[in-house]
Amino acid sequence: MVSENNGPCPASVELSFVSEATGVARSCPVYVGTCGYSYTEWVDSGFYPEGTKSAEMLGLYGRCFSVVELNYTWYQMARADALARMVEKAPAHLLFAAKLTRTMTHERDDNWREQLHLYRQGIEPLKNRLLAVLLQLPPDFDRSIANRNYLAALLDGLHDLPVAVEFRHCSWATDSVFAELERRRVTLVAIDAPSLPGLFPSLDVVTNPALFYVRFHGRNKEGWRSGNMQKKFNYDYSEEELRAWCDSYLQPMAACADRGILFFNNHVRAMAPRNGRKLAVILAGLRQGER
Amino acid sequence: MSSQGFRLRERDVLHFNVADFAVAVERVTDGSLRGRPLIIAPLQAARAVVYDMSEEAYGEGVRKGMPLRQATGICRGAELLAPRVRLYQKAMQAFLKELQGYSPLIEYGQADGHFFVDVTGTHRLYGPAPDVGWRVRRHVRTSLGINPIWTLGTSKLVAKVASRLVKPVGEYIVTAGEEAIFLAPLPIHLLPGLSGSELQKLQEFQLTTIGALAKLNCHQLMVPFGSRCEYLHAASRGIDDSRVGSPGAGLQGIDYEHTFADDTNDRRQLEGVVATLAGRAGFRLRAQQQVARRVGIWLRYSDGGHVVRQASCRTGTSSDFLLQQLALTALQRALTRRTRIRSCRLVCDRLQRRSPQLSLFPEQEQGQLRRQKVLGAMDSLRKRFGHGVISVGRQVPVDISAGDSSGLPIH
Repeated sequence: MVSENNGPCPASVELSFVSEATGVARSCPVYVGTCGYSYTEWVDSGFYPEGTKSAEMLGLYGRCFSVVELNYTWYQMARADALARMVEKAPAHLLFAAKLTRTMTHERDDNWREQLHLYRQGIEPLKNRLLAVLLQLPPDFDRSIANRNYLAALLDGLHDLPVAVEFRHCSWATDSVFAELERRRVTLVAIDAPSLPGLFPSLDVVTNPALFYVRFHGRNKEGWRSGNMQKKFNYDYSEEELRAWCDSYLQPMAACADRGILFFNNHVRAMAPRNGRKLAVILAGLRQGER
Repeated sequence: MSSQGFRLRERDVLHFNVADFAVAVERVTDGSLRGRPLIIAPLQAARAVVYDMSEEAYGEGVRKGMPLRQATGICRGAELLAPRVRLYQKAMQAFLKELQGYSPLIEYGQADGHFFVDVTGTHRLYGPAPDVGWRVRRHVRTSLGINPIWTLGTSKLVAKVASRLVKPVGEYIVTAGEEAIFLAPLPIHLLPGLSGSELQKLQEFQLTTIGALAKLNCHQLMVPFGSRCEYLHAASRGIDDSRVGSPGAGLQGIDYEHTFADDTNDRRQLEGVVATLAGRAGFRLRAQQQVARRVGIWLRYSDGGHVVRQASCRTGTSSDFLLQQLALTALQRALTRRTRIRSCRLVCDRLQRRSPQLSLFPEQEQGQLRRQKVLGAMDSLRKRFGHGVISVGRQVPVDISAGDSSGLPIH
């Protein structure tokens, strides 16, 4: 799959629109990618050629996609030396989003300000190619006063970086939250996930005109709360589902943003890159339809 | 890759390490011990040495194996506790149970909070290796109340160095292919498996980083380090093919320890204890239908120093008589100092299944058969009345007292 010749900026499409308000034509480049790229399972599943070593994966990934979400920075603090080596080896066209470390989201501690300082230093090598810092909040992070204050302080600490916030708790789905994110020019992450009680809903709200950010988690209702990643993210999007999503969500979001990134998180059996490629083909069709 | 289609996978080896394990367990049982300097040492012994100490006590200069009197002099405010080895073993078992849900290949030490887990090829069941590391840590933290370091590498060596780097808390993922780059800037003492004299020699040669060592080839290293040159050469580049042993594969040993009530250098007393420990190991081997091909003796001296020596046989044995013979040979080799001995540990390893095959010439084995009958009768008695009920030869009754690890199985 990765051996195909996909052009200089694979899986990216520039969508054009005419603004309803001003009548002016504008375009919105949309990049498709996956959450993480280094999965041994993707060798077994045929996305990477047989025998691919971890060190070779990013180069091969770049033949199919133009953006990647780095998820290992969630497990451990970003380290400048490691990221500098990674950027050096990465294809020149590849852009990045980096997850904020879990010590500031899921396992918050009193020393989070020090952690934030370390993180900022760690992602320094990505600076020119960084599209967003992803702040993924856990399902139990509800809109309590303490959590609101924490999030505000964290966003203050990240103010000069492009930030995208992903909520998992439904209590954050209110206009006042969206208005505050808009004021701060922070991107609200749109998610595609199973429709379950308590989970943040799928929305097409754009809070930052510079960027919209979408994460496709799959729609596996049974596996979502199993505690096993292999069950949670085991979902294969059909072409119809992706087309329907484009009609309902992509077009309205792309119409009010300068750029968009779409990531597939259903990494099981390499369905994420497969679905990503499928969506890229659909987007290319939309682009041609415009002409 | 071979022409038959075999391919070497990059390995995913997780290392979990609970820093100051005994202290961590004691703090779970008594929350008031948190944040205070704590020293764990046998309190009744005449010249006790430090078994474990908290980070606070370590910061004051207390070290494992240091005489307790010296340690309490350095760290005057430290809380003193006697070691509860059984409790630590119980905590190890609980941790092990957590890990067994992810891989059959687990290697662990004696009540020391170290676990290597080979999760290569388990990604389809449990997801990527970093996620397994994180989840285990989270569960152990919730269920046991202890916070282990977790690191991920392509070998035990790399994962262990990463643990040493982040100690006492944290995590570290060494990306496959970056082993040598990761090791290069690190100080040489972080490399595992180096003896004190080797470290000293490396310092003399101004080889202060692992990278500096990696620049030398095997021939250059052979002159000062002899047969160790190959290990040093490979280790400095992050190459380590050693397997993560599983207890079922017989890579773990059977392990018994006796701590003397008073330090001793009485040869007869030592031989009696070694024979008793060999008898206990033999009893356990026979019960497990296993034989051991090597017996090791670990002597810990009053001054904290220790000596390890081994004796092996070509065909494995579970007979008390042969095990005792091997153990006494190892003891003879280990008795290199005149200092009094604090404790003695016997390890039977290189275990394998006992062969059910009978000899072609039974008439030559009459003596052996008689000995087997004696052992069989003794095993029956011991099963019913306890191990101390009967002994042969040099074996002496060894009491198991509270706070003492005498004769307790380590694994």
